[in-house]
Amino acid sequence: MKTLGIARCRGMGRLRKNAPACLFGFCDLWETLPPRPVQWHLFSQLTLTKILKILFISILLAAATTAPAHPVAFDGASQLMFGTVGSVQTLEFYRSYSARAAVGLHAMRFDGEEDEIFTGLQHNWLLKRWNLPSAQANVYAGVGAGLAGEVGQGASPAGIGFFRADYETRRVYTAIDAKWVESADVSRGVFSASAGIAPYEAEFDQLNTWLILQVEHVTGMEDKLDIIPKVRFFKGPYFLELGSTLRGKPVVNFMIHF
Amino acid sequence: MKMLSAISLLALSATLALAASDRVVTVKTTVNGMVCSFCAQGILAHFKKHPAVSNMHVDLTRRLVLLEERKGKSITDEEITDYIKKAGFEPVKVERLKESFDQAKAG
Repeated sequence: MKTLGIARCRGMGRLRKNAPACLFGFCDLWETLPPRPVQWHLFSQLTLTKILKILFISILLAAATTAPAHPVAFDGASQLMFGTVGSVQTLEFYRSYSARAAVGLHAMRFDGEEDEIFTGLQHNWLLKRWNLPSAQANVYAGVGAGLAGEVGQGASPAGIGFFRADYETRRVYTAIDAKWVESADVSRGVFSASAGIAPYEAEFDQLNTWLILQVEHVTGMEDKLDIIPKVRFFKGPYFLELGSTLRGKPVVNFMIHF
Repeated sequence: MKMLSAISLLALSATLALAASDRVVTVKTTVNGMVCSFCAQGILAHFKKHPAVSNMHVDLTRRLVLLEERKGKSITDEEITDYIKKAGFEPVKVERLKESFDQAKAG
């Protein structure tokens, strides 16, 4: 019965994806449980606090995919981003040590036939910014190193790289993103292009609303191309995106600066 | 008599200087690139830590950062441009206004 958790994690398709302890490879939580019938595991062995912790982590990570890309914020800022877009989930935390550079942690999960995970350290650069009277344009790039592998199958050294360019006025938004993860077992690329409009010009202290259409392709996935209509809201240091792929997969992105 | 005049002049100068330093000054800075309030949070974060700033307002439409100085304290133009650059934007012009902060905010 020691292997019960593994069997559930590796062998039960949708159940695996929905099992909170299995998100982002936390299957160890299941493996360490003492031998009991399946239905006893969570409710008899875990305290309420542990269940709440797992639920909190699950909600956080279930909300995670290609997070809203804001690789470098202002000097001294910390930024937490997580999101879920189609088959890719992302969790990122960076500290900007200048207005042009940030360093932090990056975790990604690709839900495919074999779920894959990358976790590592990453450095981001704002390569170029154009501060125009009524617009701003940016070019970002970043590289990182960590571990990647199939869930429950061990991990090997991995590298990650990304490139992003965006242009924004108070009414128009456009962006292109490319991200690569490479290791002995994992080779994924995430490519996206976005365009959006703001139905009104929000002031600094008002709720900002954007209507955005994103096209995303993840190499090696069954879905060749995801078309994603979404709504973006932000106010103060809080940022939220809600949407869905045309195939019905939910899109949720959250970001905060502090 | 000369001595008395000199002392009076000195006292007047000191009073005027004191009055000037006690005046609340509004500082208006024009900024380029400030199109997104989420991205401009850094401006707020930097200026609210400065002891001389009692109030601030960001106006995206007019591309302005308005600061109100505390009585008797001052923020230099260099500090203002440095903070705006640290927030990722381009300061264009710093002006010290005669009008109050509320008047400047109302435009």
